[in-house]
Amino acid sequence: MSTTQLASRIRTHVTAGLLAPGLLLLAASPALAHRLEKHFTVEPRAVITIHNPNGKITVRAWTKHEIMVVANHDGSKVEVTAEQTGNRVDLRTEQFAASVSPDDLRADYEISVPEDAELQIHDDSGEVTIMNVLGDMNVETVAAGVVVSDAAGYLTVKTVGGDFQCLRCAGRLEVSSISGSFKLVELRSYYVRAQSSTGSILFDGEFLPNGIYRLKNYSGKIEVRFSPGDSFDLNAKSLKGTVNNDAKLTPPAHPQKYNNSKFGYAIGAFNAGRAKVELASFDGTINVRKRD
Amino acid sequence: MATIRCDEFANYLEPWLAGERHPDAQSHVRDCPRCRSLVEDLNLIQATARQWGGEQVEPPARVWTSLRAKLEEEGLIREAGRQRRWFNGWFTILPRPVLAGAYLAVLVAVGFGLSGPVSTRINKARWHDSVQATTMGINKQIAPQISNTTSSLPQDSKSVVTASLRQNLDIVDNYIQLCEKSINEEPENELARDFLYDAYQQKADLLAQMSDRGGNVQ
Repeated sequence: MSTTQLASRIRTHVTAGLLAPGLLLLAASPALAHRLEKHFTVEPRAVITIHNPNGKITVRAWTKHEIMVVANHDGSKVEVTAEQTGNRVDLRTEQFAASVSPDDLRADYEISVPEDAELQIHDDSGEVTIMNVLGDMNVETVAAGVVVSDAAGYLTVKTVGGDFQCLRCAGRLEVSSISGSFKLVELRSYYVRAQSSTGSILFDGEFLPNGIYRLKNYSGKIEVRFSPGDSFDLNAKSLKGTVNNDAKLTPPAHPQKYNNSKFGYAIGAFNAGRAKVELASFDGTINVRKRD
Repeated sequence: MATIRCDEFANYLEPWLAGERHPDAQSHVRDCPRCRSLVEDLNLIQATARQWGGEQVEPPARVWTSLRAKLEEEGLIREAGRQRRWFNGWFTILPRPVLAGAYLAVLVAVGFGLSGPVSTRINKARWHDSVQATTMGINKQIAPQISNTTSSLPQDSKSVVTASLRQNLDIVDNYIQLCEKSINEEPENELARDFLYDAYQQKADLLAQMSDRGGNVQ
Protein backbone atom coordinates (compact mmCIF):
# COMPACT_ATOMS: atom_id res chain seq x y z
CA MET A 1 0.00 0.00 0.00
CA SER A 2 1.40 3.37 -0.99
CA THR A 3 1.75 6.22 1.47
CA THR A 4 -0.98 8.16 -0.40
CA GLN A 5 -3.41 5.22 -0.20
CA LEU A 6 -2.66 4.79 3.51
CA ALA A 7 -3.27 8.48 4.19
CA SER A 8 -6.55 8.34 2.26
CA ARG A 9 -7.75 5.32 4.29
CA ILE A 10 -6.84 7.02 7.54
CA ARG A 11 -8.77 10.15 6.47
CA THR A 12 -11.82 8.03 5.63
CA HIS A 13 -11.75 6.31 9.01
CA VAL A 14 -11.26 9.57 10.87
CA THR A 15 -14.13 11.22 8.99
CA ALA A 16 -16.41 8.25 9.66
CA GLY A 17 -15.38 8.27 13.31
CA LEU A 18 -16.28 11.93 13.61
CA LEU A 19 -19.58 11.69 11.75
CA ALA A 20 -20.96 8.61 13.46
CA PRO A 21 -21.36 10.12 16.96
CA GLY A 22 -22.95 13.20 15.43
CA LEU A 23 -25.48 11.11 13.54
CA LEU A 24 -26.18 9.06 16.65
CA LEU A 25 -26.80 12.25 18.65
CA LEU A 26 -29.21 13.49 16.01
CA ALA A 27 -31.09 10.22 16.09
CA ALA A 28 -31.29 10.27 19.90
CA SER A 29 -32.49 13.86 20.26
CA PRO A 30 -36.23 14.44 20.78
CA ALA A 31 -38.14 14.95 17.61
CA LEU A 32 -39.15 18.60 18.07
CA ALA A 33 -39.84 18.86 14.39
CA HIS A 34 -42.25 21.79 14.34
CA ARG A 35 -41.16 25.34 14.90
CA LEU A 36 -43.43 28.30 15.34
CA GLU A 37 -42.19 31.88 15.37
CA LYS A 38 -44.53 34.78 15.91
CA HIS A 39 -44.16 38.49 16.66
CA PHE A 40 -46.76 40.68 18.38
CA THR A 41 -46.60 44.44 18.80
CA VAL A 42 -47.90 45.42 22.23
CA GLU A 43 -48.55 48.45 24.44
CA PRO A 44 -46.89 48.96 27.83
CA ARG A 45 -47.75 46.42 30.53
CA ALA A 46 -48.75 43.71 28.12
CA VAL A 47 -49.98 40.44 29.60
CA ILE A 48 -48.67 37.10 28.40
CA THR A 49 -50.35 33.86 29.41
CA ILE A 50 -48.72 30.51 28.78
CA HIS A 51 -50.31 27.10 29.27
CA ASN A 52 -47.95 24.26 28.62
CA PRO A 53 -48.33 20.74 30.03
CA ASN A 54 -44.74 19.74 29.57
CA GLY A 55 -41.59 21.47 28.42
CA LYS A 56 -39.10 24.20 28.91
CA ILE A 57 -40.28 27.80 29.02
CA THR A 58 -37.68 30.55 28.85
CA VAL A 59 -38.77 34.17 29.08
CA ARG A 60 -36.34 37.05 28.61
CA ALA A 61 -36.96 40.77 28.69
CA TRP A 62 -35.78 42.99 25.89
CA THR A 63 -36.15 46.66 25.09
CA LYS A 64 -38.61 46.33 22.19
CA HIS A 65 -42.38 46.87 22.51
CA GLU A 66 -42.85 43.53 20.94
CA ILE A 67 -43.31 39.94 22.02
CA MET A 68 -41.46 37.29 20.10
CA VAL A 69 -42.45 33.68 20.55
CA VAL A 70 -40.43 30.75 19.29
CA ALA A 71 -42.01 27.39 20.08
CA ASN A 72 -40.66 23.98 19.18
CA HIS A 73 -42.75 20.87 19.45
CA ASP A 74 -43.46 17.51 17.94
CA GLY A 75 -46.45 18.42 15.82
CA SER A 76 -48.05 15.05 15.40
CA LYS A 77 -50.29 15.21 18.45
CA VAL A 78 -50.12 18.78 19.72
CA GLU A 79 -50.18 22.25 18.31
CA VAL A 80 -48.92 25.51 19.73
CA THR A 81 -51.33 28.41 19.39
CA ALA A 82 -50.31 32.04 19.87
CA GLU A 83 -53.05 34.63 19.76
CA GLN A 84 -53.27 38.30 20.60
CA THR A 85 -56.34 39.88 22.17
CA GLY A 86 -55.84 43.57 22.78
CA ASN A 87 -52.76 43.89 24.93
CA ARG A 88 -52.73 40.25 25.91
CA VAL A 89 -50.99 37.40 24.16
CA ASP A 90 -52.10 33.84 24.91
CA LEU A 91 -49.80 30.93 24.22
CA ARG A 92 -51.12 27.44 24.59
CA THR A 93 -50.02 23.92 23.81
CA GLU A 94 -53.16 22.25 22.49
CA GLN A 95 -53.67 18.52 22.48
CA PHE A 96 -55.11 16.99 19.28
CA ALA A 97 -55.17 13.28 19.86
CA ALA A 98 -57.48 11.77 22.47
CA SER A 99 -54.73 9.74 24.04
CA VAL A 100 -51.27 11.20 24.37
CA SER A 101 -48.27 10.46 26.48
CA PRO A 102 -46.58 13.22 28.50
CA ASP A 103 -43.72 13.25 26.00
CA ASP A 104 -46.15 13.86 23.16
CA LEU A 105 -47.35 16.98 24.95
CA ARG A 106 -43.91 18.46 25.16
CA ALA A 107 -43.33 21.91 23.74
CA ASP A 108 -40.43 24.24 24.43
CA TYR A 109 -40.90 28.00 24.35
CA GLU A 110 -38.40 30.83 23.98
CA ILE A 111 -40.16 34.11 24.56
CA SER A 112 -38.87 37.67 24.46
CA VAL A 113 -41.07 40.27 26.14
CA PRO A 114 -40.94 43.98 27.04
CA GLU A 115 -39.45 44.61 30.48
CA ASP A 116 -42.74 45.71 32.01
CA ALA A 117 -44.70 42.70 30.76
CA GLU A 118 -46.91 40.70 33.12
CA LEU A 119 -46.67 36.94 32.98
CA GLN A 120 -49.05 34.16 33.87
CA ILE A 121 -47.41 30.80 33.35
CA HIS A 122 -48.74 27.32 33.87
CA ASP A 123 -46.27 24.55 33.18
CA ASP A 124 -46.91 21.14 34.75
CA SER A 125 -43.54 19.57 34.16
CA GLY A 126 -40.30 20.71 32.61
CA GLU A 127 -38.64 23.97 33.58
CA VAL A 128 -39.51 27.65 33.76
CA THR A 129 -36.82 30.31 33.51
CA ILE A 130 -37.58 34.02 33.64
CA MET A 131 -34.97 36.72 33.29
CA ASN A 132 -35.08 40.50 33.74
CA VAL A 133 -38.86 40.85 33.65
CA LEU A 134 -40.05 43.70 35.87
CA GLY A 135 -43.83 43.20 35.68
CA ASP A 136 -45.98 41.05 37.95
CA MET A 137 -45.73 37.31 37.51
CA ASN A 138 -47.75 34.29 38.48
CA VAL A 139 -46.21 30.88 37.90
CA GLU A 140 -47.91 27.58 38.70
CA THR A 141 -46.36 24.18 38.15
CA VAL A 142 -46.67 20.63 39.39
CA ALA A 143 -43.22 19.15 38.95
CA ALA A 144 -41.49 21.86 36.96
CA GLY A 145 -38.74 23.84 38.64
CA VAL A 146 -38.84 27.63 38.44
CA VAL A 147 -35.88 29.99 38.21
CA VAL A 148 -36.45 33.73 38.26
CA SER A 149 -33.67 36.28 38.13
CA ASP A 150 -33.58 40.08 38.24
CA ALA A 151 -37.33 40.46 38.66
CA ALA A 152 -39.03 43.42 40.31
CA GLY A 153 -42.79 42.88 40.20
CA TYR A 154 -45.20 41.07 42.48
CA LEU A 155 -44.17 37.47 42.08
CA THR A 156 -46.36 34.54 43.09
CA VAL A 157 -45.12 31.02 42.54
CA LYS A 158 -46.95 27.84 43.41
CA THR A 159 -45.56 24.39 42.77
CA VAL A 160 -46.45 20.92 43.98
CA GLY A 161 -43.01 19.36 43.81
CA GLY A 162 -40.92 21.76 41.76
CA ASP A 163 -38.05 23.73 43.26
CA PHE A 164 -37.91 27.50 43.09
CA GLN A 165 -34.91 29.74 42.85
CA CYS A 166 -35.02 33.52 42.91
CA LEU A 167 -31.92 35.57 42.23
CA ARG A 168 -31.79 39.31 42.71
CA CYS A 169 -35.55 39.73 42.90
CA ALA A 170 -36.90 42.99 44.27
CA GLY A 171 -40.70 42.79 44.32
CA ARG A 172 -43.16 41.26 46.70
CA LEU A 173 -42.68 37.51 46.70
CA GLU A 174 -45.10 34.76 47.67
CA VAL A 175 -44.08 31.18 47.05
CA SER A 176 -45.60 27.92 48.17
CA SER A 177 -44.97 24.27 47.49
CA ILE A 178 -45.47 20.87 49.05
CA SER A 179 -42.13 19.22 48.45
CA GLY A 180 -40.25 21.87 46.49
CA SER A 181 -37.24 23.64 47.99
CA PHE A 182 -36.59 27.37 47.69
CA LYS A 183 -33.42 29.37 47.27
CA LEU A 184 -33.91 33.09 47.66
CA VAL A 185 -30.60 34.74 46.99
CA GLU A 186 -29.62 38.42 46.89
CA LEU A 187 -33.20 39.46 47.38
CA ARG A 188 -34.26 43.05 47.96
CA SER A 189 -37.91 42.53 48.72
CA TYR A 190 -40.12 44.22 51.30
CA TYR A 191 -42.39 41.25 51.59
CA VAL A 192 -41.45 37.60 51.32
CA ARG A 193 -43.70 34.69 52.21
CA ALA A 194 -42.36 31.22 51.50
CA GLN A 195 -44.03 28.04 52.59
CA SER A 196 -43.17 24.44 51.83
CA SER A 197 -44.06 21.19 53.54
CA THR A 198 -40.97 19.10 53.13
CA GLY A 199 -38.74 21.38 51.10
CA SER A 200 -35.87 23.38 52.52
CA ILE A 201 -35.80 27.16 52.39
CA LEU A 202 -32.71 29.32 52.04
CA PHE A 203 -33.01 33.07 52.44
CA ASP A 204 -29.83 34.95 51.67
CA GLY A 205 -31.04 38.45 51.01
CA GLU A 206 -31.47 41.86 52.58
CA PHE A 207 -33.81 42.59 55.44
CA LEU A 208 -35.20 45.93 54.39
CA PRO A 209 -36.50 48.31 57.06
CA ASN A 210 -40.20 47.59 57.72
CA GLY A 211 -39.97 44.54 55.52
CA ILE A 212 -41.82 41.35 56.43
CA TYR A 213 -40.23 37.94 55.90
CA ARG A 214 -42.23 34.82 56.71
CA LEU A 215 -40.69 31.44 56.03
CA LYS A 216 -42.42 28.26 57.06
CA ASN A 217 -42.01 24.58 56.43
CA TYR A 218 -43.05 21.32 57.97
CA SER A 219 -39.77 19.49 57.82
CA GLY A 220 -36.49 20.21 56.10
CA LYS A 221 -34.19 23.06 56.85
CA ILE A 222 -34.84 26.78 56.98
CA GLU A 223 -31.68 28.81 56.72
CA VAL A 224 -31.54 32.58 56.98
CA ARG A 225 -28.33 34.56 56.58
CA PHE A 226 -27.80 38.00 57.98
CA SER A 227 -25.11 40.69 58.01
CA PRO A 228 -23.93 42.55 61.13
CA GLY A 229 -25.59 45.75 59.90
CA ASP A 230 -29.02 44.20 59.41
CA SER A 231 -31.87 45.20 61.64
CA PHE A 232 -34.68 42.76 62.28
CA ASP A 233 -37.07 41.41 64.84
CA LEU A 234 -36.79 37.64 64.90
CA ASN A 235 -39.42 35.13 65.84
CA ALA A 236 -38.18 31.63 65.03
CA LYS A 237 -39.94 28.53 66.29
CA SER A 238 -39.61 24.84 65.58
CA LEU A 239 -42.19 22.67 67.29
CA LYS A 240 -40.26 19.41 67.23
CA GLY A 241 -36.95 20.55 65.79
CA THR A 242 -34.20 22.93 66.80
CA VAL A 243 -33.38 26.57 66.24
CA ASN A 244 -29.72 27.52 65.86
CA ASN A 245 -29.24 31.23 66.06
CA ASP A 246 -26.03 33.24 65.59
CA ALA A 247 -27.68 36.63 66.01
CA LYS A 248 -27.33 38.32 69.39
CA LEU A 249 -30.88 39.22 70.16
CA THR A 250 -32.35 41.71 72.57
CA PRO A 251 -35.18 39.88 74.34
CA PRO A 252 -38.65 41.31 73.83
CA ALA A 253 -39.91 43.80 76.41
CA HIS A 254 -42.84 41.54 77.16
CA PRO A 255 -41.51 37.99 77.18
CA GLN A 256 -43.79 35.54 75.45
CA LYS A 257 -45.18 32.33 76.81
CA TYR A 258 -42.50 30.26 75.05
CA ASN A 259 -40.04 30.85 77.87
CA ASN A 260 -40.79 27.49 79.40
CA SER A 261 -41.74 25.82 76.19
CA LYS A 262 -40.43 22.48 75.06
CA PHE A 263 -39.98 23.55 71.47
CA GLY A 264 -37.00 25.32 69.96
CA TYR A 265 -37.25 29.05 69.54
CA ALA A 266 -35.29 32.27 69.16
CA ILE A 267 -37.14 35.49 69.76
CA GLY A 268 -35.88 39.05 70.00
CA ALA A 269 -34.54 42.07 68.16
CA PHE A 270 -31.30 42.24 66.26
CA ASN A 271 -30.03 45.84 66.22
CA ALA A 272 -33.09 48.08 66.03
CA GLY A 273 -35.39 45.27 64.93
CA ARG A 274 -36.76 47.15 61.95
CA ALA A 275 -37.68 44.24 59.71
CA LYS A 276 -39.97 41.48 60.88
CA VAL A 277 -38.64 37.95 60.40
CA GLU A 278 -40.91 35.03 61.23
CA LEU A 279 -39.59 31.51 60.83
CA ALA A 280 -41.63 28.45 61.71
CA SER A 281 -41.09 24.75 61.30
CA PHE A 282 -42.89 21.70 62.61
CA ASP A 283 -39.94 19.37 63.00
CA GLY A 284 -37.32 20.94 60.81
CA THR A 285 -34.14 22.74 61.80
CA ILE A 286 -33.98 26.51 61.63
CA ASN A 287 -30.57 28.09 61.21
CA VAL A 288 -30.05 31.83 61.54
CA ARG A 289 -26.49 32.30 60.39
CA LYS A 290 -24.15 35.23 60.08
CA ARG A 291 -23.16 35.79 56.47
CA ASP A 292 -19.51 35.05 55.66
CA MET B 1 -83.33 40.61 76.88
CA ALA B 2 -80.45 38.16 76.39
CA THR B 3 -79.29 36.36 79.52
CA ILE B 4 -75.78 35.71 78.23
CA ARG B 5 -73.31 37.68 76.11
CA CYS B 6 -72.09 36.76 72.62
CA ASP B 7 -68.72 35.56 73.88
CA GLU B 8 -70.47 33.36 76.41
CA PHE B 9 -72.79 32.01 73.76
CA ALA B 10 -69.74 30.76 71.86
CA ASN B 11 -69.31 28.20 74.64
CA TYR B 12 -72.75 26.80 73.87
CA LEU B 13 -72.13 26.49 70.13
CA GLU B 14 -70.79 22.99 70.07
CA PRO B 15 -73.59 21.47 72.18
CA TRP B 16 -76.06 23.55 70.19
CA LEU B 17 -74.87 21.98 66.97
CA ALA B 18 -75.17 18.59 68.63
CA GLY B 19 -78.82 19.36 69.32
CA GLU B 20 -78.62 20.55 72.93
CA ARG B 21 -80.66 23.71 73.51
CA HIS B 22 -79.68 25.34 76.75
CA PRO B 23 -82.33 27.87 77.84
CA ASP B 24 -79.73 30.67 78.10
CA ALA B 25 -78.45 29.91 74.64
CA GLN B 26 -81.95 29.75 73.22
CA SER B 27 -82.77 33.04 74.76
CA HIS B 28 -79.62 34.60 73.39
CA VAL B 29 -80.20 33.29 69.88
CA ARG B 30 -83.71 34.68 69.97
CA ASP B 31 -82.52 38.14 70.93
CA CYS B 32 -79.18 38.45 69.12
CA PRO B 33 -79.45 38.70 65.33
CA ARG B 34 -75.70 38.23 64.88
CA CYS B 35 -75.51 34.94 66.76
CA ARG B 36 -78.76 33.81 65.19
CA SER B 37 -77.22 34.35 61.78
CA LEU B 38 -74.11 32.41 62.83
CA VAL B 39 -76.22 29.51 64.06
CA GLU B 40 -78.17 29.48 60.82
CA ASP B 41 -74.95 29.38 58.86
CA LEU B 42 -73.54 26.56 60.93
CA ASN B 43 -76.77 24.62 60.58
CA LEU B 44 -76.53 25.10 56.85
CA ILE B 45 -72.98 23.79 56.83
CA GLN B 46 -74.00 20.78 58.90
CA ALA B 47 -76.87 20.03 56.58
CA THR B 48 -74.64 20.47 53.56
CA ALA B 49 -72.02 18.18 55.00
CA ARG B 50 -74.66 15.51 55.57
CA GLN B 51 -75.81 15.75 51.98
CA TRP B 52 -72.29 15.65 50.74
CA GLY B 53 -71.40 12.86 48.38
CA GLY B 54 -74.33 13.60 46.12
CA GLU B 55 -74.39 16.75 44.15
CA GLN B 56 -71.97 19.63 44.15
CA VAL B 57 -72.57 22.13 46.89
CA GLU B 58 -71.87 25.80 47.06
CA PRO B 59 -72.50 27.65 50.30
CA PRO B 60 -73.48 31.30 50.16
CA ALA B 61 -70.82 33.96 50.61
CA ARG B 62 -72.26 35.06 53.91
CA VAL B 63 -71.34 31.70 55.43
CA TRP B 64 -67.68 32.39 54.96
CA THR B 65 -68.00 36.01 55.88
CA SER B 66 -69.63 35.30 59.19
CA LEU B 67 -67.37 32.36 59.98
CA ARG B 68 -64.34 34.45 59.23
CA ALA B 69 -65.66 37.26 61.41
CA LYS B 70 -66.27 34.79 64.22
CA LEU B 71 -62.85 33.21 63.93
CA GLU B 72 -61.19 36.62 63.89
CA GLU B 73 -63.25 37.75 66.83
CA GLU B 74 -62.27 34.70 68.83
CA GLY B 75 -58.64 35.27 68.04
CA LEU B 76 -58.32 32.00 66.16
CA ILE B 77 -57.23 33.96 63.12
CA ARG B 78 -54.49 36.40 63.83
CA GLU B 79 -53.76 37.72 60.35
CA ALA B 80 -56.95 39.00 58.90
CA GLY B 81 -55.45 39.78 55.49
CA ARG B 82 -53.99 36.37 55.02
CA GLN B 83 -57.13 34.58 56.09
CA ARG B 84 -59.23 36.71 53.81
CA ARG B 85 -57.15 35.62 50.87
CA TRP B 86 -57.35 32.05 52.07
CA PHE B 87 -61.11 32.06 52.11
CA ASN B 88 -61.28 33.90 48.81
CA GLY B 89 -59.04 31.23 47.37
CA TRP B 90 -61.52 28.64 48.53
CA PHE B 91 -64.27 30.55 46.93
CA THR B 92 -62.67 30.45 43.55
CA ILE B 93 -62.05 26.74 43.71
CA LEU B 94 -65.31 25.64 45.30
CA PRO B 95 -67.43 25.73 42.14
CA ARG B 96 -65.06 23.40 40.35
CA PRO B 97 -66.23 19.81 39.96
CA VAL B 98 -65.35 16.97 42.29
CA LEU B 99 -64.36 19.35 45.01
CA ALA B 100 -66.46 18.03 47.78
CA GLY B 101 -63.35 16.58 49.33
CA ALA B 102 -61.69 19.94 49.27
CA TYR B 103 -64.84 21.59 50.51
CA LEU B 104 -65.03 19.25 53.44
CA ALA B 105 -61.43 19.95 54.22
CA VAL B 106 -62.54 23.53 54.77
CA LEU B 107 -65.21 22.26 57.07
CA VAL B 108 -62.59 20.36 58.99
CA ALA B 109 -60.52 23.48 59.40
CA VAL B 110 -63.51 25.60 60.31
CA GLY B 111 -65.11 22.99 62.53
CA PHE B 112 -61.78 22.44 64.10
CA GLY B 113 -61.39 26.12 64.82
CA LEU B 114 -64.92 26.44 66.16
CA SER B 115 -64.61 23.44 68.38
CA GLY B 116 -61.48 24.89 69.88
CA PRO B 117 -60.94 27.42 72.61
CA VAL B 118 -63.80 29.70 71.83
CA SER B 119 -62.95 31.56 74.97
CA THR B 120 -59.69 31.86 76.78
CA ARG B 121 -60.76 29.09 79.13
CA ILE B 122 -59.22 26.14 77.40
CA ASN B 123 -60.41 22.76 78.34
CA LYS B 124 -57.94 20.11 77.26
CA ALA B 125 -60.33 17.20 77.43
CA ARG B 126 -62.93 19.04 75.45
CA TRP B 127 -60.31 20.03 72.94
CA HIS B 128 -59.15 16.50 72.58
CA ASP B 129 -62.65 15.09 72.14
CA SER B 130 -63.78 17.73 69.73
CA VAL B 131 -60.64 17.46 67.61
CA GLN B 132 -61.11 13.74 67.32
CA ALA B 133 -64.81 13.97 66.70
CA THR B 134 -64.43 16.61 64.02
CA THR B 135 -61.44 15.36 62.12
CA MET B 136 -62.15 11.65 62.36
CA GLY B 137 -65.79 11.99 61.45
CA ILE B 138 -65.22 14.19 58.48
CA ASN B 139 -62.17 12.30 57.35
CA LYS B 140 -64.38 9.21 57.15
CA GLN B 141 -66.80 11.15 55.00
CA ILE B 142 -64.02 12.52 52.81
CA ALA B 143 -62.31 9.20 52.25
CA PRO B 144 -64.47 7.83 49.40
CA GLN B 145 -64.38 11.14 47.56
CA ILE B 146 -60.63 11.35 47.89
CA SER B 147 -60.43 7.83 46.60
CA ASN B 148 -62.58 8.79 43.59
CA THR B 149 -60.44 11.83 42.92
CA THR B 150 -57.15 10.00 43.12
CA SER B 151 -58.40 7.04 41.12
CA SER B 152 -59.57 9.40 38.38
CA LEU B 153 -55.92 10.07 37.70
CA PRO B 154 -54.30 7.75 35.20
CA GLN B 155 -52.30 4.95 36.70
CA ASP B 156 -49.42 5.39 34.24
CA SER B 157 -46.36 5.69 36.42
CA LYS B 158 -44.41 7.25 33.52
CA SER B 159 -46.23 10.53 33.98
CA VAL B 160 -44.10 12.84 36.05
CA VAL B 161 -47.10 14.98 36.85
CA THR B 162 -49.32 12.14 38.04
CA ALA B 163 -46.51 10.63 40.07
CA SER B 164 -45.74 14.00 41.63
CA LEU B 165 -49.37 14.61 42.56
CA ARG B 166 -49.72 11.19 44.17
CA GLN B 167 -46.42 11.45 45.98
CA ASN B 168 -47.24 14.88 47.34
CA LEU B 169 -50.69 13.79 48.47
CA ASP B 170 -48.97 11.11 50.52
CA ILE B 171 -46.67 13.75 51.97
CA VAL B 172 -49.58 15.96 52.98
CA ASP B 173 -51.52 13.02 54.44
CA ASN B 174 -48.54 12.09 56.52
CA TYR B 175 -48.18 15.71 57.57
CA ILE B 176 -51.84 15.80 58.65
CA GLN B 177 -51.45 12.61 60.67
CA LEU B 178 -48.44 13.92 62.52
CA CYS B 179 -50.05 17.27 63.19
CA GLU B 180 -53.14 15.57 64.56
CA LYS B 181 -51.01 13.35 66.73
CA SER B 182 -49.22 16.40 68.03
CA ILE B 183 -52.50 18.17 68.75
CA ASN B 184 -53.84 15.12 70.54
CA GLU B 185 -50.78 15.24 72.75
CA GLU B 186 -50.97 18.99 73.27
CA PRO B 187 -54.47 20.13 72.39
CA GLU B 188 -53.88 23.79 73.09
CA ASN B 189 -50.75 24.05 70.97
CA GLU B 190 -51.42 26.93 68.61
CA LEU B 191 -48.41 26.27 66.42
CA ALA B 192 -49.51 22.69 65.78
CA ARG B 193 -52.99 23.91 64.96
CA ASP B 194 -51.55 26.37 62.46
CA PHE B 195 -49.65 23.57 60.79
CA LEU B 196 -52.72 21.33 60.66
CA TYR B 197 -54.70 24.19 59.18
CA ASP B 198 -52.04 24.66 56.50
CA ALA B 199 -51.94 20.94 55.80
CA TYR B 200 -55.66 20.75 55.15
CA GLN B 201 -55.41 23.76 52.90
CA GLN B 202 -52.63 22.10 50.94
CA LYS B 203 -54.57 18.88 50.69
CA ALA B 204 -57.61 20.68 49.36
CA ASP B 205 -55.49 22.55 46.80
CA LEU B 206 -53.90 19.32 45.73
CA LEU B 207 -57.22 17.51 45.40
CA ALA B 208 -58.50 20.36 43.28
CA GLN B 209 -55.50 20.06 41.01
CA MET B 210 -55.91 16.31 40.82
CA SER B 211 -59.55 16.50 39.92
CA ASP B 212 -58.75 19.09 37.26
CA ARG B 213 -56.18 16.82 35.73
CA GLY B 214 -58.12 13.57 35.96
CA GLY B 215 -58.33 12.26 32.42
CA ASN B 216 -56.36 15.10 30.91
CA VAL B 217 -52.94 13.67 31.48
CA GLN B 218 -51.89 10.17 30.78
